[in-house]
Amino acid sequence: MTTEPGPGRGSDAGQGARQDGEPDPYGGVPALALDGVTKRYGAVTALREVDLRIEPGEIVGLLGHNGAGKTTLMSIVAGLLRPDAGSVRVMGVNPVTAPHAARRLLGLAPQELGVYPPLTVHQNLLFFAELAGLRGRTAGRRIEEIAEPLGLTALLGRRVAHLSGGEQRRVHTGMALLHRPPLLLLDEPTAGVDVQTRQQLLELVRDMAAKGTAVCYSTHYLPEVEALDGSVAIVSGGRMVARGPLKKLVRQYGDSAVELTFAGPPPDIPLPWPSSTDGRVLRVAVEQPHLAAPRVLETLGGSAGELVNLRIVHPSLESVFLRVTGRRYDADAEGDADA
Amino acid sequence: MREGTAGRIAALIRHDLRLQMRDPAPLLVRTVMPLLLMGFMQPLFRTALQAENVEGATGAEQAVPGMAVMFTFFLVNLVGFGVFREHGWKTWDRLRAGLARPGEIVAGRVAVPLGVAMLQLAVVFAAGGWLYNLRVRGSWPALVVVGAALALCVVLFGMALVALCRTVAQLAVFANLAALLFAGLGGALTPLSMLPDWASPLAPAVPTYWAMRGFTTVVLDGGGLAAVLTPVAVLLAFSLGFAVLTLAFFRLEHRKISWS
Ligand SMILES: Nc1ncnc2c1ncn2[C@@H]1O[C@H](COP(=O)(O)OP(=O)(O)OP(=O)(O)O)[C@@H](O)[C@H]1O
Ligand SMILES: [Mg+2]
Repeated sequence: MTTEPGPGRGSDAGQGARQDGEPDPYGGVPALALDGVTKRYGAVTALREVDLRIEPGEIVGLLGHNGAGKTTLMSIVAGLLRPDAGSVRVMGVNPVTAPHAARRLLGLAPQELGVYPPLTVHQNLLFFAELAGLRGRTAGRRIEEIAEPLGLTALLGRRVAHLSGGEQRRVHTGMALLHRPPLLLLDEPTAGVDVQTRQQLLELVRDMAAKGTAVCYSTHYLPEVEALDGSVAIVSGGRMVARGPLKKLVRQYGDSAVELTFAGPPPDIPLPWPSSTDGRVLRVAVEQPHLAAPRVLETLGGSAGELVNLRIVHPSLESVFLRVTGRRYDADAEGDADA
Repeated sequence: MREGTAGRIAALIRHDLRLQMRDPAPLLVRTVMPLLLMGFMQPLFRTALQAENVEGATGAEQAVPGMAVMFTFFLVNLVGFGVFREHGWKTWDRLRAGLARPGEIVAGRVAVPLGVAMLQLAVVFAAGGWLYNLRVRGSWPALVVVGAALALCVVLFGMALVALCRTVAQLAVFANLAALLFAGLGGALTPLSMLPDWASPLAPAVPTYWAMRGFTTVVLDGGGLAAVLTPVAVLLAFSLGFAVLTLAFFRLEHRKISWS
């Protein structure tokens, strides 16, 4: 599946910039630096010339629709896939040429649950602690340290096969933390977990970032990224379409609007405001949506009877996402929910 | 050896042992079954040996090593499942993205089956020998050396199959087929003297033949370490061949399909 980077390909030029295996003596080395990374699966181009920089202690919410390329990006960073072009550096180390050194510096909790069901939670964590060179008491302490914030302490003796899905996902996440990597890649860590676990996990991530860990966190749940209050990277169709601190992006792209959902296709009425449709949703861009809403409704006239939902959209990550990808974040999900 | 390598291989071995302990039934069955089958095979081998004018032969001289050898080859499944189940649990990529180097992962996967093969051979020989009154005329150390070479050969054959098979179904069918075919051709399942004419010249092409030759040299002919040099060397050559196949075809990034 993986393709060797071809010799003399243009974008490989960037690799000469820093010598492999010779990370700068820390000061100023980004935890992660991608430059012009491109990845193709046969005819599908999953990533196109993606640049991304994550500083130590920074939390980056990696956002994008299904198939946008988030998992591909993380797999390349973890050395599971080779980029077709471009360069990757983890704390200055190239995972393609120095995979072992790079893997010491990063922890990956993949999107797909990967745990050992026949073993206990403790044994699952112990395995990764032992691979990190910890034994006996030291390993035990490290396991407790990881288990506590993940709410696994009481479950350590239980077999993973007998845990709930959300509990298994916490074990899965914990397995990536045991060697205390300075770069953490969490691919949808909150898929299928409850509100409380989600909060615990967000708290853990904030904690680790405060101690200097760089975190790349992919999710489909925008409020999570807002709660982490870090920065955001949005991929769409394999391209990095927005990158920056959350607040700055919201200021820059966060439009406000009134969103109207109809029982069928939205009526074709001329409106005095810019508007767009997406499925059964009509989005009317207005400055102060809570004041404009009554006037928007008036304009609908008889079509108002078809209306099933009205929503005030304030500048937020969601409206940023809409602007930069051209699609509502939950376009598909909402269509189902209203059906 | 690189720094930390021994520790990581030890971690992989302990991990594999924990997984084996969770499900010891297959190990027990693979040890008990040959002991039962020896009873069925013994009269056949006795007849063959008596026809060859071997003095005082009970049949155990070939039934015990024969079943021991055949069931060692069934351990190829153990080697294979060790890799395929990681793909099924989606932990293979976690291992790849983790701290163990590729060579360490392979070494960790081979070590436990190798130990199991040695242990199984020892138990089957000891228990079978006691149950069926096996009299070993030659030296025990020579038996151990043949057993060790056989175990290595079986485990590396398993790795070569893992390298060549994409699905666990392929692996299981080839492993079991090979175990039976090798046993049949190599004189573990039927006496070599009873093979049809076309099959006898093929016998030396299978590792089982050399394992059986090594064992019977010790058990029947009273051979010592020097007498088993040739069979041991051939078994090691087979092992080397399987190792080369593994190196040529096994790639950590290859997707393997287990149950799904
Ligand atoms: N092994 C593969 N072979 C071929 N195409 C692939 C493979 N893996 C991913 N793709 C394609 O690459 C693109 C990016 O996939 P990727 O898994 O990175 O998306 P994602 O952003 O993680 O999506 P999701 O939110 O659904 O997890 C998709 O178009 C996908 O179909
Ligand atoms: Mg994904």
